[in-house]
Formats: sequence, C-alpha cells, structure tokens
Amino acid sequence: MISKDELQIATKTLGRDFTETELRMIEALWSEHCSYKSSKRWFYLFKTTADNVALGVGEGAGLFDIGGGYYAGVSMDSHNHPSQIDPYNGAGSGIGGTIRNVISQGCKAVGLMNCLRFGHPQKPKNALSLSNAVRGISDYGNSVGIPMVGGEMEFDESFEDNCLVNIVCIGCVKSENVVRSIARTPGHHIVIFGSKTGCDGVGGVIFASNVISDSKDWSTSAIQIGDSLAEKVLIDTLTELLEEHLIDGLQDIGGGGLAAAAGDLAHSGGTGVEIELDKVPTRGVVNPSDIIISESQERMLAIIAPTNMDRVKTLLEKNDTPYAVIGKVTDDGYYTAKYEGEIIAKLPISLLVDGVLIPERVEGKIPSQTDSLSWFKEPDDYGSAIMNLISSVNICDRSWIYSQYDQHVQSNTVVDIGQNAGVLEFPNGRLLAFTSDCNSFWCKLDPQVGTANSAAESLRNIVSMGARPIFIANCLNFGSPEKPDSYAQFVESVRGLGRFSHDFNIPIIGGNVSLYNEALVDGQNRRINPSPQIMLAGIFKEKFSPIKRNLVTPWANIFLVGETFPELNGSEFQRVIVGEVKGEPPKYRPNWEKKTMDAILESHDRGLIRSCNNVGRGGIAIALMKMALRSEYGFKLNMEYIPGTVNSLAQSLFSETSSRYLAEVTESNQPEFLSILEKHELATCELGLTTLEPTADFGRFTIPLEKAKMEFSDGLGKYLG
Amino acid sequence: MSIAVIRFPGTNNDDDVMRALRQIPAAKPYLVPSRKGLAGLQDAEGIIIPGGFSYGDYMRAGAVAAMEVISAGIRDLAEDGKPVLGISNGFQILAEAGLLPGALLPNVSARFICRWVYLRVSDQPSIFTENLENAVIRLPIAHAEGNYFCSEDYLIALEGEKRIPFKYCNAQGEITEDSNPNGSIENIAGVINQKGNVLGMMSHPERATRQILGSTDGLEILENFVRAIR
Repeated sequence: MISKDELQIATKTLGRDFTETELRMIEALWSEHCSYKSSKRWFYLFKTTADNVALGVGEGAGLFDIGGGYYAGVSMDSHNHPSQIDPYNGAGSGIGGTIRNVISQGCKAVGLMNCLRFGHPQKPKNALSLSNAVRGISDYGNSVGIPMVGGEMEFDESFEDNCLVNIVCIGCVKSENVVRSIARTPGHHIVIFGSKTGCDGVGGVIFASNVISDSKDWSTSAIQIGDSLAEKVLIDTLTELLEEHLIDGLQDIGGGGLAAAAGDLAHSGGTGVEIELDKVPTRGVVNPSDIIISESQERMLAIIAPTNMDRVKTLLEKNDTPYAVIGKVTDDGYYTAKYEGEIIAKLPISLLVDGVLIPERVEGKIPSQTDSLSWFKEPDDYGSAIMNLISSVNICDRSWIYSQYDQHVQSNTVVDIGQNAGVLEFPNGRLLAFTSDCNSFWCKLDPQVGTANSAAESLRNIVSMGARPIFIANCLNFGSPEKPDSYAQFVESVRGLGRFSHDFNIPIIGGNVSLYNEALVDGQNRRINPSPQIMLAGIFKEKFSPIKRNLVTPWANIFLVGETFPELNGSEFQRVIVGEVKGEPPKYRPNWEKKTMDAILESHDRGLIRSCNNVGRGGIAIALMKMALRSEYGFKLNMEYIPGTVNSLAQSLFSETSSRYLAEVTESNQPEFLSILEKHELATCELGLTTLEPTADFGRFTIPLEKAKMEFSDGLGKYLG
Repeated sequence: MSIAVIRFPGTNNDDDVMRALRQIPAAKPYLVPSRKGLAGLQDAEGIIIPGGFSYGDYMRAGAVAAMEVISAGIRDLAEDGKPVLGISNGFQILAEAGLLPGALLPNVSARFICRWVYLRVSDQPSIFTENLENAVIRLPIAHAEGNYFCSEDYLIALEGEKRIPFKYCNAQGEITEDSNPNGSIENIAGVINQKGNVLGMMSHPERATRQILGSTDGLEILENFVRAIR
C-alpha cells in the first residue's frame, strides 16, 4: 500500500491530484517488489562488472560471454507469496515468469533450477503444499520443454507460513541476436502478444510487498494463474520473430503489469509511451485500471518498427497468438494511458519509474553469538548419528522431487540432478555447470558470514566437478525491511555476498529481492530464516569431462583437503541432535577457500582426481556417505587424526568448516596430487581406501551401505507418499 | 529419405528429434507444424511424432492431437506401409488415433517420472530393432502417462505376433517389477502394429544419441528407422 508520505510527495511532484488509474500505477511501481526502494541502496557492495559481462543486472536477464559468439543468460526470481496461498499455481507461474525474463533478451531458454523452502513435511499441510508446488513446477516446466538442471531445498518451521519458491532460468543467445528492453524510437509501435489479459494477478506486486496476515483477506485474484501451453506457443512464436530480427525492444509483462512493462521500456529509452487500454485483448476484465496492472501470465510487450509491422502481424496470426497494436513510443517522457479515446492517466516516466520516495530504514543490531560448544557431547553411537543425518530432511535424497522434472529435453544435459551441479552443453561446445546453495541456519546466526559461506559452498560444488566459477545470480529472501532486526539481516547478508563476489572476483549478473516474508499468525509474527539464495555458474575447460562425486574405483585413496576446526554450531548435527541451531556458525575463510580451490582445479586439469566432493552440510561424514551411496564401492578409513584442531571423532565427522574437499585419487596419481597440495601449502591427510565391499567403514564403527541407501532415499518419500 | 517430424501446439521434442536425425547421413528430416494438415505430409517417406504435451495434454494425453486432420494423413501413410514412430506423447497420440492397440494410463505413482531406464529388446526381428535383438539398452523416460494397458485378448495377440519390441528391465536385463517405472502391463515399453511399420515407445531414443548425453542406444533405433524407409 502506498504510504501517506509517498502520496504527498507524488502529488506535489505531479502538481495535481491523481486519477484512480494513476494511483494504481504508482502503487504498483512504487511497491517494494518493483522499486527495490529498501534494497537498491546496498547493491553498490556487489561486484557487478567484469570483462565477460555483456549485460549486467537491470533488465530481464544478465548476459555473460562464454566464447564462440555466444552469451549465457540468467534470471532468478521469487514467487513466494503466491506459492504460500496457492502452491500449484504460484510455483508454476513462477517458472513461466522467469522464463519470460530470459527470452525477453532474445535468449533461448535452455535450463531451469528451483530452490524451495517449506515447513517440515512431517506436518501434512506442509507436505501437501510442497507436493503441490513441485507438481506446479513439473506441469509447467515440463510442458514448455526446458530441462531442470538443478535446485536446492531446505526445511524449517520458519518457512511454514512463508514458503520460498525461487526459480532460475538459464538462457543462451548469439551475441548478434540480443534484444534489449528499451523503447528507443518515437513512432515505433507497441505490440502486446501472448495470452489475453484477465483479472488474475491484479495487484500481485503489492501483495508481494506486504506481510501475509490472517486478518487481511487477500483475494486470490492477486495470484497469477499459468497456462503452460500458451507459454510454449508464445516461446515458439517469439523464436520466429527473433530469427527474423523483427523486434526492436522487448519486455516481459510481469510484476506491475503493463504499467511497469511499458514504463520500464520508456524509462530505459528516455522516451514516452502512449497506450490505448481498450485495444488490449482481454478475458473477463473490464476496468481499465485493472487492465493496466493485471499480472496475467504469458504476455510480452514488443517495440516494433513500422516497416516490420506487417511481417510481425503475419507471424503472430500464423501461430494463432492473440495480439494487438496497443500504442506507440512517444518523445514526451510521459506514460499516457487512454481508454476509449479519453486520457485516464498521464504520468511523467521519471515520477512513475524513478520517483519513488526512498524510505528511511533502520538497521538494527544482529545479536552476537558465542562459540561455546557446551551443548556438544560425543554421541554414544556414531553409526546411528550418521543415519539420523542421512535421513534428515535437509540432507536426504531429493529424487522424490526432481524425478518429477524433465531433465533431458533439448538433449544438452551432460550431468543430471543429484550431483554437486547440473551440467549443460552449450551450442559453442562448452560445458557449463550450475549449482545453487543457501544455508539459512548459518544465515540466521550470522547473516554476513552465513551468506558468504553459502556462496563458498556453491563455489566448492562447481570446483569439485572441475569447473571454474564465472557468474552469480541471487534471490534475497528476508522479512520486513520496516523492522530494524529484519532489515539488519538483509543488509548484513548483502555485505556477505558483496564480500564474496569481490574476494573471488565473480560478477553478480542477475538477482531479485523478496522482502516481507513474515506472517502474522494468531497474533504472532513469524519470520523466515534469512535466505539469500545463491546460484553460481561455472565453465569447464574444453574437452574436460565433469567429475562426479560417486566413487569410481576400488583400492583408490580418499584424501581430505583442508583443515578442520571444531565448528559445530549452526551445523546439521546440532540441528538434529539439539533440535535447534545456536552459536557462531562456521567461519568464512576466503584465503583458505582460494587455496583449496586452486589446488583442486589444478589437480582436475591434470586429470588426477577420479571423484570429488565438497564438504558441506553434515560435514565429512555426510560428504563421504554421499560419495558411496550412489556408487558400487565402499570405503575403509582411519579417522583418528585429521589436520586442524578438532579433538574428537564426532567433531571430525560433523564439523562444517568451510574450504574442504574430499578427493578420490588412484595410487599412481598420488605423488603428483600431493605435490600440488604442497605447492599450495595445504594441509591434507589420507583418510583411507575405497573398497569392493559395500560398507562404510569409519575405523571405529561401520555402516552397511544397503541400509544407509534405504534411509537416504526414503528421507522425503516417507512424508510425501 | 524424407522424414516428416510433426509438431502439434505443445510438442516440445521436435528440435531434439530433428537434431538426432541430422546425425544420420541418409535422413532428410523436415518439420511439419500440424496446422499444415495433409499438405505437410506430401513428400513424407516416414513420420516421427515427437514427445511433448500436444494441446497441453489438458485432456487425456494425445487425445486432441489424434483428432487433427494431419492424424488422418498419418493413418494413410501408415496403411501404405511407411514407417511411423511415435515417441512418448507421440505414442499416446498413435494409441488415441487407434493406430496402435491399448492405452497409456497415468503412471501408478500418479506423478511425472523422469529418469534413465533399461529396456530389454525382443529377440524377434523388427524393422526398428535390427542388430539390437536381445540387447539391453539404456534410454531416458519423461512422462506422466506411460502406464501401458491393453485387454487380455490384445495382450495375447501382441505376445503371439511378437509385437512387443521393448520391455522395461534392470541393468542385468531381467524383466522385474522393480524395473517397471510406470506400472505398464507385462513391463511393456513399446508396441508395434500388425503390419510391423508403426512403433510407439515411451522412452526417448532421440535423447540418447551422443556419448556426452550418457548413451547412444537411441541413435541405433533411429538409424533402423531411417534404413526402414525404402
């Protein structure tokens, strides 16, 4: 809702009262979701430029030069509020919107990822929400023919009243085919095409910029309803229009509807727009001010030069795509909206898109945490502790979810979901890896360190497969910016991600901010764990085959690279044993992280590593188990001594210290591998050997892999059916 | 060898099939949007109906596409003896059109399933499985309605006439209940018509045509398809 102050400023600038339509336009564009009015001021902390960045944050998708005349594109978006109310349609239309961000730059959409956070599935209502969201993503994403290449999920009761559905879409475009979201030339036509405009999603961005409350009745018309067939036909039609270079400017009609889409096009072009709302093809919506802010799905807004108009019409008609020429680009700097010849809105673009009152926000203090491990005690039974972690909802097998997603359509999928990253082949012959991570428990305890370390974990995912990191996209999910403690979490998290991007010189080329993820439930305010979702892309050297984490040979050595400290606060071990996380989360150590990254990449380049895993959630124990669970082999280890300062077996097994890897190296490659580690001054130790027997032998105790596999694979299925 | 690759609104494996066929020197694939109707099939010496979600699968999968004019043209060419291959949604369309017996019901899990599966190739010769007799091949599946069902009579006929070229199996080639991904009767993964020139299969040969994708077993099936055009 627009505040009194905002209304006052806006009226003063305009010099007159607003019409109803104008007010609704301003309300949409000045919402947090559209204007980033609480968040934008911090983005200077991010590294956003690099030689290969062809298009940075700001339009539908960021573009990154991957060589051979091709750019990879990426967009990351959230559809949290809609998915909380209607998981099936909310999540499905989240997929649709993110795809359109990418195709609006002229890209072919080549991959999807989904990052989900829900309440614990042992409660039937959470399980139902999750399975409906997954079905929404599955039905929509599979139908439009874009492979799912990765994702991530986490469960915590803090997501029970505010689930998170973050979507990544990856694209690819030849450099000469890039389309920009700009209305450059006055006199050019403005064409809407795709689905007809309906009542769904009216005011969606305003809904998304407020706390969900049980006392306020959010009419479900704020939820967008997707139609995957319409999206597929839209994609096919757009491909034809792009092939013939008929489009001068293009924008997805997303949050803020036509008001935002046309406003943004004019804003980036320094032009104006004149729209005739009665020409917009509609279904069931009659009020012109609804038409202008409706967020109905599967619609695009294109700027077309008059000379191309006939050809564009021919192609749209051939494909049976609803369309209309609804206006033209002007040079007056105004957004003029007419209905049946009458002007119902005339706002300066500068006021509409740029004029938002930057609100004062107060950054509270993050409560300090202790490094005390007084809660910690050595478990009586290590085997059952590992089994508890293996079957924990935050670690167990996710195939119940991802087997519902088509991973192979388009025939470019080199590594399926279930590894450290998904890998796609691009048309220039290069392989790119995509991963995403966020440990919201670390972020809850220390948003800055937790965010930087979540990003570092994504980095290790990419590096363990042998790829070099190239770009980041992010989706920052937090509570209300109007509350100092919540705002502090956001700001600290941005600092963490900013640090990481500069420390590792990786540009951030796409992102989204979703605030107000808190809810009033029975008079109680319930806020999500701070969840900065980080997506990282990496590129492999030519001819390199991605390294998986499954053990591949018997009688090879398993090395632990990097030091381990007693960092169990914030760990999954603590969460499972104590029932909550507390204390200082594991430290962010960029220097060590860089050293281990360089050493692992150098070893990969020389072909020395057969399988490799990042040590992350659940520590060495879980990293090792994951290497064995999808392999035919087992291992036999001696864990009595590992480098660092841990002083018990459980600390060695479950510490979540960053910058560590596990590598399977055959006997003959050992000397060279060790010399590389020595060169980088890295501590390492040989944990033991891979074995033919399917047993996880940790020295002091053993776990039959068959049983572990069952626990692992049934972790979600036992709740979801 | 002109091969018409049919695209209904919502088909989404057409590019993959075109790309796979281009790897085969003798194949001359061309894309036919279904709205072209019979005219689109004029030069076709073989037809492939790729997977996807024709008309959104908003009704029974394949049901709307089977009613299109072009489907009548496909029937004519099939009766002429030209090879016809329906993959996934293409199989559903052929079954709905009555060109193949039986029906594809929702998976027993009631969920969409995407994964790699093993298929046991029948030891009986067919134009589609030349040189693959008795082999165990690996292909991906991706469907929500792939649970093949037919009446007892049909089943006896299919078995008797050796018209079941593929059955789901495990890595060792054993046809077990565990290896059946969708509940298909007798683990049936594909069926052939009486004449032997129309094949429907739920798994995707076009997605297993390059080593980098994890298998080239699908390429052999497509090569057989091209060879079958005479």
